[in-house]
Amino acid sequence: MKTKRLFAGILGLSILMASFTACSGQQPANSAASEKGAASAASADDSAEKITLTFWNNYTNDSNHVMSGIIDKWNADHPNIHIEANSTENNAYKVKIKTAMSANNAPDIIYTWAGGFTQPFVEAGKILPLDEYLNDGTKDKMLSGALTNITYDGKVYGLTYNQQAGALYVNDELFKQNNVKVPTTFDELLTAVKAFKKAGLVPMAVGEKDKWPGMWYYDMIALREGGSQLCLDALNKKVSFDQPAFVNAAQKLEELVDAGAFAEDVLSQTRDESVAQFSQGKIPMYFGGNFDAQVIDQSLEGKVSAVKFPTISDGDGVDTEYLGGGADALCVNANTEHKDEAVQAVKYLAENFSSSMYLTGAGLPEWNYDSIDESKIDPLSKQIMEDIVQGSTGSVPAWDLYLTGNDAQTHQDLVQSLFGKQITPEDFGKQTQSKINKAA
Amino acid sequence: MERLLRDKKAIFLFTFPTFLLFTVIVVLPIFFSIHYSTLEWDGFSQGTFVGLANYKSLFVNNTDGFLQSIINSLILALISVGIQLPISLLLALIIARGVRGENFFRTVYFIPVIISTVVIGQLWMKIYNSDYGMLNTVLRAAGLDQYTKPWLADTHTALAAVFIAMLWQYIGYHMLLMYAGAKSISPDIYEAARIDGASEAQMALHVTIPLMKPILCVCVIFAVTGSFKAFDLIYVMTGGGPLHSTEVPTTLMYTTIFSRYQYGYGSAMAIFIIAECLIFTLVIQKLFHQNAEG
Amino acid sequence: MAAEMKQKLARGQKKRTKPFCFSSFFLYLFLGIVTLIQVYPLIWLFLFSFKNNNEIYSGNAMGIPHVWRISNYYSVLTSGNVGIYLINSVIVTGITIVLSTALITTSAYAIVRMRWKASHLFLNYILLGLMVPIHATLLPLFIVLRNLNLLNSYLSLILPYVVFALPMGAFIMVGFMKNIPLELEESACLDGCNVYQTFWHIVFPLVRPAVATVAIFTFLSSWNELMFANTFINNDRLKTLTVGIMSLSGQQGTAWGPIGAGLVIATVPTLLIYLLFSKQLQKSVIAGAIKG
Repeated sequence: MKTKRLFAGILGLSILMASFTACSGQQPANSAASEKGAASAASADDSAEKITLTFWNNYTNDSNHVMSGIIDKWNADHPNIHIEANSTENNAYKVKIKTAMSANNAPDIIYTWAGGFTQPFVEAGKILPLDEYLNDGTKDKMLSGALTNITYDGKVYGLTYNQQAGALYVNDELFKQNNVKVPTTFDELLTAVKAFKKAGLVPMAVGEKDKWPGMWYYDMIALREGGSQLCLDALNKKVSFDQPAFVNAAQKLEELVDAGAFAEDVLSQTRDESVAQFSQGKIPMYFGGNFDAQVIDQSLEGKVSAVKFPTISDGDGVDTEYLGGGADALCVNANTEHKDEAVQAVKYLAENFSSSMYLTGAGLPEWNYDSIDESKIDPLSKQIMEDIVQGSTGSVPAWDLYLTGNDAQTHQDLVQSLFGKQITPEDFGKQTQSKINKAA
Repeated sequence: MERLLRDKKAIFLFTFPTFLLFTVIVVLPIFFSIHYSTLEWDGFSQGTFVGLANYKSLFVNNTDGFLQSIINSLILALISVGIQLPISLLLALIIARGVRGENFFRTVYFIPVIISTVVIGQLWMKIYNSDYGMLNTVLRAAGLDQYTKPWLADTHTALAAVFIAMLWQYIGYHMLLMYAGAKSISPDIYEAARIDGASEAQMALHVTIPLMKPILCVCVIFAVTGSFKAFDLIYVMTGGGPLHSTEVPTTLMYTTIFSRYQYGYGSAMAIFIIAECLIFTLVIQKLFHQNAEG
Repeated sequence: MAAEMKQKLARGQKKRTKPFCFSSFFLYLFLGIVTLIQVYPLIWLFLFSFKNNNEIYSGNAMGIPHVWRISNYYSVLTSGNVGIYLINSVIVTGITIVLSTALITTSAYAIVRMRWKASHLFLNYILLGLMVPIHATLLPLFIVLRNLNLLNSYLSLILPYVVFALPMGAFIMVGFMKNIPLELEESACLDGCNVYQTFWHIVFPLVRPAVATVAIFTFLSSWNELMFANTFINNDRLKTLTVGIMSLSGQQGTAWGPIGAGLVIATVPTLLIYLLFSKQLQKSVIAGAIKG
């Protein structure tokens, strides 16, 4: 009796295991979903070739509205190619897409961040290279450099539709009230910080609990210290981080910290919290991304301007270089059954997302935007586009975007150590080099 | 009776569904994880087998603070058993002995467990806020300005601040378990003790608590393993920061797997957590067992 | 003998009643203070749900909102499919509770009462589940569910929720069952009940307090679960309520007010369920006391 039971159990388990190994091979992505879609379509009407493309993204709060309108329009115009979109909250999306990628169960069209986030997917051969599809004039419709961050090993793996650009937001009203000059050099910045500090204000906003906002400050200062070429070379492991430019940048950040530029609880503040304080008119300066423009404009309309980050007198960087570049991108799953249709959809979506995001102040365009009615564009976004992005001579993406997972985390941690005064600028340079750039 | 209780078919029917589901959903993934933990793997490409190297780097020349995170979780377990459980027990005993409004108090004391961790995290972040937080406001009002602090931003206070929130949230959880345990003790036993002239405190100490031993054992094990696996509230409140001062093994594992793309190494952390919980559970069970016999 | 007993009883009662008034004042004061502390988050959440970010991130994080923004509720109720999400959550947690209760009570009965060699081993095997940090199981579980072709269905959530409720539930249930006197079952056996009848008619009613307790915990953990619910479900029609609420937060900044409103909406069923099971717990405790 007992052995019989044992045997039954083992048998059951081994059948189970067998079924696992049998289907754990490279399954065509979401075949079940598209088959289901196809089947239901076939029963609905008899037009044979109806397919479903799955598309995962992080379009939750406000952006969802704009994006889903465009997707709906595609579906109306293309009765035979249905896009089935699924949105997940940002942080959960990162975990979800990595898990699905890992298990070969990703959707046909994938929202992703250009740069280091996508790199492991590309290296594992999970993303379709798009070069052969782009010679139909698509490239001409995009701004120059729009594909730089999504190009790996000389091949293009996706289409960007939104770029980031760092800007120093200044509250003109507070500057006027306190008789402070809007800084154009780092020394003026320090003067301004001290003046505001004296007036009892927290001079600069940063939500360093989230780590990346403080990193934006450092990466920007490093860009002014070393210039874009040096930064890119270091990020590409061609030159060392343990050199004066990067150590000086850390030194400059320490000077800001020592001058009391940031709130005392900077390490526990979230980005949302710091932006809210800036938007309430409590803080005069904030170095952040163009993606903050919309929120700031809503609460402080007309009182804020977005200016270039100050230059450093003995630095190699110039004021026409900015922190940012192509960020949001759409990719096609290498295992999709409908390559041509998916690429076609990605082109359509990326182009339309680009212009509508610019229009609503949610982003900066990566595609030509001549046809957009300029008067309708969010004013701060327009200012950033015109003053900082257009006519620029170079840009470096925020380092966490450029570096891959582990290195990005390490960089953010090291910058946080600067904010917490746990590390000297010299050690910062040494450790960045030894932990991130072993090869160089 | 004996014959009935040896009914093999019944035993099989009662246990096999549980066994099967549990094996597929929990045990099989553990084996996957054990496999991953022997790889150097980013989660996507082909992993390379590295044997026990991942386990070695948890302890030898460790740079990501894994050892400190274990110490943090041990501290949490210690204060959970030493402070949280006694409070829960006290409340459970008071309520279970029939105060007026027994149901009301039991219900209300459980509320923090019901509310989503996201909200609890937001609440405590507001309490600890250095600018307008309740704690600093109270301190200032009491003229204790020199003691105000950015509680969650200061590496010296952040750990304690987070732990207090965590202990508080789950007081009601253990209280409910203990309450149910205390309630299942037959009233006859109390009556007998009362006839012998025992005071409330004596009864609690000599009658109720010894009879609650099984449920207390459950609570201690939940508290300890819960501390080793604690994640949500820490993740919401500090994310392991500032400067890794509130890192526990699970938060470190989470960032290692999902942000650092070190799936193999992160899996080794997971296996370590499992082993750690297992050992402590066995020890606790043994202790309670000895106590019961001795 | 009887007189002595009476005397003892009287003494006992005296002892109980005399210091009662004095100490009971402090007792209730203490209980009252604890009540305030424990209820506060609920009040806070309620106030929070009417604020906007500017109020939440300022001195008025604790107090009464300047403006009662009912629009927060409006924006939750109109964005997405809150009704469908709510139904999904009810279906998933409902089936989870029923299934887990069935598995837990039967397994506990087999472990505590029935005679077989591996019973202790079996309990320890199930307890293994208490040790597992769930975040580490995400990818393996995803692969398992994919191969069982269960992804993107209610079952992809129900099965993990049931199984992760088993260890704790079994642990609690075993503890309870051990304390139940055997006599009732023995007499049922003499009356000719078979093992299934004994279980269903005698044992199950007796462990109702434990069932209620376990059900509360199972409900809470599955109702509030986010990671599995986010990862295993792609179809908007199958999403659960907490996922729907958290998707109100965005990549570039989160409006916390509407999320607060959503969480109030999600918390109300939790409170109701808790009160319901609580009542059950109370009733069965009293019933048990009378019988015992």
